Amino acid sequence: MPEKEIPEDGMCGEYQQKMLAIRAAFEAGASGRATVAARAEAMDKLVAGLWAQAVRQTPTLGQGIALVALGGYGRRELFPYSDVDLLYLLDGKASEQEVKQPIRRVSQALWDCGIRLSPQTRRRSEAEKFEPDNVEFALALLDHRLLAGDAAVYEKFAGTGLPRMLEKEHRAIATGLATLTAERHRKYGDTLFHLEPSIKDCPGGLRDVHVCAWLATLEKTDTPGEKADSGWAAGEREEFEQAVEFLFGVRCFLHYRHERDDNTLDWQAQDAAAKVWMGMERRRAAREGPAPDAAYWMRLYFRHARIVERRLTHMLEESAVKPPPGRWTAVGRAALARVRRRPDGPTAGWRLEHGRAVLSAAGTGVAGDPAQDPEVVLPLFAAMSQTGATLDRASEMRVSQALPVLSAHLEEGPALWMHLQEILLGPYAGKTLRAMHALGLLELLIPEFHGIDALVIRDAYHRYTVDEHTMVLIDTLHGLESGQASPMGEWADRFGGLLRDVQHQALLYLAALLHDTGKGRSTDDHARESARMAESVAGRLELDAYESELLLGLIRNHLEMSAALRRDIFDLETVRAFSGKVQTPEALRMLTLFTYADIAAVHPDALTPWKAENLWRLYLATSNYLDRSVDDERVGARVGRELVKRVVAVMPERRAEVAEFLEGFPERYLRTRTPEQVRLHFEMAERFAADRVQIEFRYSAETSEITLVTPDRAMLFADMAGALAAWGMNIVTADAFSNRQGVVVDNFRFTDTFRTLEMNASEHEAFVASVHDVMAGTAPVEKLLAGRRRSGRKAPLVEVETRVDFDDEASTHSTLLQVVAQDMPGLLRAVSQTLAGQGCNIEVALVDTEGETAIDVFYVTRGGGKLDGEQEAELKDALLAAIAANAG
Amino acid sequence: MQKIEAVIQPSKLDAVKDALVEIGVQGMTITEARGHGRQKGHTEFYRGREYSVDLLPKVKLETVVSDEMLDKAVAAIIGVARTGTIGDGKIFVTKIDEAIRIRNDERGEMAL
Repeated sequence: MPEKEIPEDGMCGEYQQKMLAIRAAFEAGASGRATVAARAEAMDKLVAGLWAQAVRQTPTLGQGIALVALGGYGRRELFPYSDVDLLYLLDGKASEQEVKQPIRRVSQALWDCGIRLSPQTRRRSEAEKFEPDNVEFALALLDHRLLAGDAAVYEKFAGTGLPRMLEKEHRAIATGLATLTAERHRKYGDTLFHLEPSIKDCPGGLRDVHVCAWLATLEKTDTPGEKADSGWAAGEREEFEQAVEFLFGVRCFLHYRHERDDNTLDWQAQDAAAKVWMGMERRRAAREGPAPDAAYWMRLYFRHARIVERRLTHMLEESAVKPPPGRWTAVGRAALARVRRRPDGPTAGWRLEHGRAVLSAAGTGVAGDPAQDPEVVLPLFAAMSQTGATLDRASEMRVSQALPVLSAHLEEGPALWMHLQEILLGPYAGKTLRAMHALGLLELLIPEFHGIDALVIRDAYHRYTVDEHTMVLIDTLHGLESGQASPMGEWADRFGGLLRDVQHQALLYLAALLHDTGKGRSTDDHARESARMAESVAGRLELDAYESELLLGLIRNHLEMSAALRRDIFDLETVRAFSGKVQTPEALRMLTLFTYADIAAVHPDALTPWKAENLWRLYLATSNYLDRSVDDERVGARVGRELVKRVVAVMPERRAEVAEFLEGFPERYLRTRTPEQVRLHFEMAERFAADRVQIEFRYSAETSEITLVTPDRAMLFADMAGALAAWGMNIVTADAFSNRQGVVVDNFRFTDTFRTLEMNASEHEAFVASVHDVMAGTAPVEKLLAGRRRSGRKAPLVEVETRVDFDDEASTHSTLLQVVAQDMPGLLRAVSQTLAGQGCNIEVALVDTEGETAIDVFYVTRGGGKLDGEQEAELKDALLAAIAANAG
Repeated sequence: MQKIEAVIQPSKLDAVKDALVEIGVQGMTITEARGHGRQKGHTEFYRGREYSVDLLPKVKLETVVSDEMLDKAVAAIIGVARTGTIGDGKIFVTKIDEAIRIRNDERGEMAL
């Protein structure tokens, strides 16, 4: 091997000196752009120098080889520690064997100089061919630049060969690029809101900036005449340039900090960046005053990242490499017809087409500018939430600009709650809320959200910022609802079933939206802070007392179930303490689902089947405990004062009578009724003198409700069940409570098997009158039952085995009886009649249906006390017989 | 060097971790596990269906300590994990032939 002529230390040494100078300049305030350009320039000189020397040694190298910079180097963007992409481009004349050694020596010299070189050698014919498997190489070629060597070779490549290839393949390359981008985004949860983002690969990062540039280049090939930079909105271009400048600066900062190609903005790096005002104007000026804290600085990062992400999204859509927006999902399409049929739909200022939601132009049909009218804009977002439509760009900008006017016209109260509910309950709620958040519309409706915008909380477990975590939680709940395939498998099904049983789903989603707003305040107890903020939201939405309490209770307690899971869930004390916090089955269901979604939203790996199983067990144990403790927790002088106060508040002048009415009711009765409902029952009881049988009936096409308030007597529950069965009503849920004075409140929710009430409105009165007469004793229920229609019994989808179980420990003074059987008409009548026939008195009844299974829980006494073993056995036999007979 | 494998109640995990850190144990691995010993399963009825747990939730904690540290570590674990009731768990000890720190190739007790 010939000796080296000129010591390479000279050139390498010069390069190293320059690197030090560049670093010093950066730390003194030079911009990221200037820094990367300076390194590229220094690299150019070094490469050219080394090549010149190689040519002197081996003159044949002078022809047929061109040295071409690719990728970042080609763009003159060499970050302090990033790789250098270098292509040795060979023309037909040069023999590969001959040039291999000299090329390797040049590469070696660069490596020896501490440079991470990525060299490639290609024949021109190879380089000009597009390999579908190697999209990355094609992309790197887009940024080519001649460094040294045979200019003629380069000319043939850059002037003829490459453009020809691009003309042919630019669409395929663009599609490949879109696919790679989507994959990369997926790895990062499709969100830019990471607590420790990789500023190169995360959405909104430098990779995305490159993708924008590549798409523009590929686009140029498509329409050579057109301006490549069409499609910028006013001010958007400067914002984008600023974002790029910021990211450049931060990447240089990270490289110098780590002294390698590490692009992760971890916490220490965030602290350090904030301390030196990285990327902020003040960096160059003297640093007076306190530096910003890391959370503030990160918000700046997210703002820039958002701009990059938006630009990328627009470019991907415009270049038509993504599936055209005209694709509705199956769910979206199903909702589309429904949404379009609504009266406040497309005729009122917006329309849905090709997967897009579009605001109508000003002055067409609707008075004024639709973008400025909350009554247009909010239903529009509701429709997006139902169908998954994306807001088109023009509409986005209009809404963004109209925010001040929207704010002025926004009406609070029930109307706003109605709109919000529609947005929260749609299957695409998460997507829609994120869009509203990015536009600033969400903060308009709920200013409390502002405090957690892009908020970074230092925490080893969380992956996302607080606002993104909230959105992921909401997505998780909707995922359960729709039965999405999930790695959680059967657990997702189980919890999905639970979600379907929740009566107040909108409140659950509202609680999800607000539960972490308290983290924006510096406090140890963010649950309490969030509840405080939710209280003012509840006030503005004019939620009633029951809904408010459910919402606030859930937020206040949102960590309680996770806390209980860390204790021994099989210990009765843990269950007892936890059930004291939730108090009602509805609140328990909501908290269980919330906890499931909260854990899942912390981090993709956070929720394991192991954790889900423990959560389910705790739910079971608590649900059973709640049912078993109904009888013992009664309203009295000492217990339940808070509940009593709430009811008295709606009737302050009747305080004493109300308290007397409430005494003796199980607390469960008060906890599952609004104060207004309790007042209604009280007033019904006051009318006993005129009529001892007081009935309140509320009809609905789905589930009707009938409430009976009457003095207790034997066979009461059985007669009621019989009257309903005679009319063909199928009881879904029911409960029965009595107070100390023996006033009974029975409530039944039922469906109308033969649609009698639906088809004949006049029958409502007849129905109520008939029930009244049965309960008053003027019409024998047997006669009514004899005349009833029998529906053809469909074969059940699920065979339910009949079970009768007793629990003597649950209550101090009554026996708990649980009956589980195949749900069918007449079942409740058969059971309650048997109980009466056996001389048992029903103290409390809790009736529920789950699919085809009827679950009836009774607290019964016989002769004023619990049942003994013999009586239980006798009762069990009688029940089994009666149930079998009813099944026919 | 000795490896300690402790199967404990999940509710005891935080206490055991703290106790080990306090006596100077530098690292450990935690696994979510299920298991049973003589502790019987647990049956819960819900809506007429029986949910029986034969395998109860447990946590497995593994750590490797020097020979001198072994007794202290075991005592620390038992100290906080013991409740005296069935289900407290078990500790297994095995001898370790070699330990290597991946980052810098340190070996033996230096790597712990």
